Amino acid sequence: MIESVLAPTDVVLAREPRKLPVRRALMAPLALLLFVVVWEGYKAIGPENGASIFGWKLIPRTSDRAMPHIIDMLRRFGRPEVRGANERTVLSVVIAATWYSLRLSLFGLVVGVAAGLFLATLMSRFNLARRALLPYLVASQTVPLIALAPITVNWGGKLRPFGHEFPAWMAAATLSAFLAFFPIAIGALRGFASPKDTSVELLDSYAASWWQGFRKLRFPSAVPFLIPALKLAASLAVVGVVVSEISIGLRFGIGRLVISYYQDGTSDPAKVFTAVMGAVVLGLVMGGLVAMADRFLTRARPTEANS
Amino acid sequence: MSDVQTPTAIAASAVPIPAVAAESVGKSFNPGTRKQVDALVDVSLTIRPGEFVSLIGPSGCGKSTLLRVVADLLQPTSGTLLVNGKSAKQARLDQDYGMAFQQAGLFEWRNVARNIELPLEIRGWDAARRHARSKEMLELVKLPDFANHMPWQLSGGMQQRIAIARALAANPPLLLMDEPFGALDEMTREHMQAELLSICAATGTTVVFVTHSIPEAVYLSDRVVVMSPRPGRITSIIDVALGDARNDDTREASEFYRKITEVREALRGADHAGRSATTGARGIEDR
Repeated sequence: MIESVLAPTDVVLAREPRKLPVRRALMAPLALLLFVVVWEGYKAIGPENGASIFGWKLIPRTSDRAMPHIIDMLRRFGRPEVRGANERTVLSVVIAATWYSLRLSLFGLVVGVAAGLFLATLMSRFNLARRALLPYLVASQTVPLIALAPITVNWGGKLRPFGHEFPAWMAAATLSAFLAFFPIAIGALRGFASPKDTSVELLDSYAASWWQGFRKLRFPSAVPFLIPALKLAASLAVVGVVVSEISIGLRFGIGRLVISYYQDGTSDPAKVFTAVMGAVVLGLVMGGLVAMADRFLTRARPTEANS
Repeated sequence: MSDVQTPTAIAASAVPIPAVAAESVGKSFNPGTRKQVDALVDVSLTIRPGEFVSLIGPSGCGKSTLLRVVADLLQPTSGTLLVNGKSAKQARLDQDYGMAFQQAGLFEWRNVARNIELPLEIRGWDAARRHARSKEMLELVKLPDFANHMPWQLSGGMQQRIAIARALAANPPLLLMDEPFGALDEMTREHMQAELLSICAATGTTVVFVTHSIPEAVYLSDRVVVMSPRPGRITSIIDVALGDARNDDTREASEFYRKITEVREALRGADHAGRSATTGARGIEDR
């Protein structure tokens, strides 16, 4: 009888600490390889000029102009950006542009997360704040981003935050944060309200202050809600940067680079795909950072005792 | 019904300050509206320090409400209530009681030791003192090797023991328990009852214990308070006190069964007083 009381449940086995499985580490290169095989395979067997089904052009063209060989894209990285000029290779330009957009996206994400958490805390503390703010937060996301972008860039001539000019890059970062804060605010608000009644009663029975209850119960309870919110926020931060780069004509970024390389498409079809790869890498890096944050936040739970 | 509300007389003769002194306490939800519910009516009860008192009755009789009024989680709408001679609010602010619920309610992101230390953190104890205390409490509930385990690594019975350790960590003179063993299997439950008695004997803690189970109430209690619903009130108080040497044999003693019968009949009587005589006391376990 005592054994049955003392024995840990077999749930333990199901929740062993996560290891980084070799199999999972192999999945990413495998997926990449699969993509290359599908791309080149279709290019080999598909019709050169595409085909129509029931009058709709549904089968993509496989000509070198529409679907360059992967190897041509990779080779293009090594050659100079502009034919004849022997200054910068495409690779260095794409890396610089990706790095530029990544910094903006990160900036937008950090500001968005901070703003989202702040608003959610405020709304969870004061009912009045929730009733007053929540409808506007929801409405804020229905504003089309492209319409907002030129307005924010216009601030550059009028706003002088902290005595400095409001640069165009900050307009892009603002829009990025504007998109990123929303899932965080909503996720955190739900998370802060998620503790069970008895947990809240328990803290009341200790005569804990609101702030103590927030730190020791509401915030930790919100972590499972914050992780999916963070994933959404990260991708929205990237979208915000890339779209506003295009819409406000901000140079240096990867969004802008895709458009400008696309315009060389007729003579240099492989070039645009180098920029697309840069954009993909941008998305992957942001996703990876969030995955690391996830790992840190959930890993932090079992080891919290050491803090 | 009218002849049973005399326990306040005890307060007059008792020298020590009562752990709980309720005088005509009433609690209504939505008072003055059409949805008014009288959860407690004219409840008077005095509990001596060190006493173990169970509240038993069918669902809706107000036993959990009474517990929450004592805990100052709900405010009474009438009557007076003193806990350790202070207002219930002051007692709560002073952390004069610990509380345990049907669900252990451990914080899953904290390990066992840090769960036990939670009330101490709120009180502002420093880390060294907290660690020493949680270690002591783990000894008390006989789980000394589990300080660094996470709650999900423990069985239900172990989790409930940690919850009791947490409730007692700040060394409160009063322990309020709301069906703490209700979710456990019968074997674990009997084991936990014995554990609770030995913990109370060791610490001298006063316990107010809400339960659905007649044998549990009889086994554990000095007195069993029988309540009835609509409106929630005390219908009788039965002295049990099976003695300090309670063990598994006690559960087979004729005295044990006699007291169980007495409580059951009190519950039936309470039920008859409450509504028609044809139905039995619902929500009460005979096991």
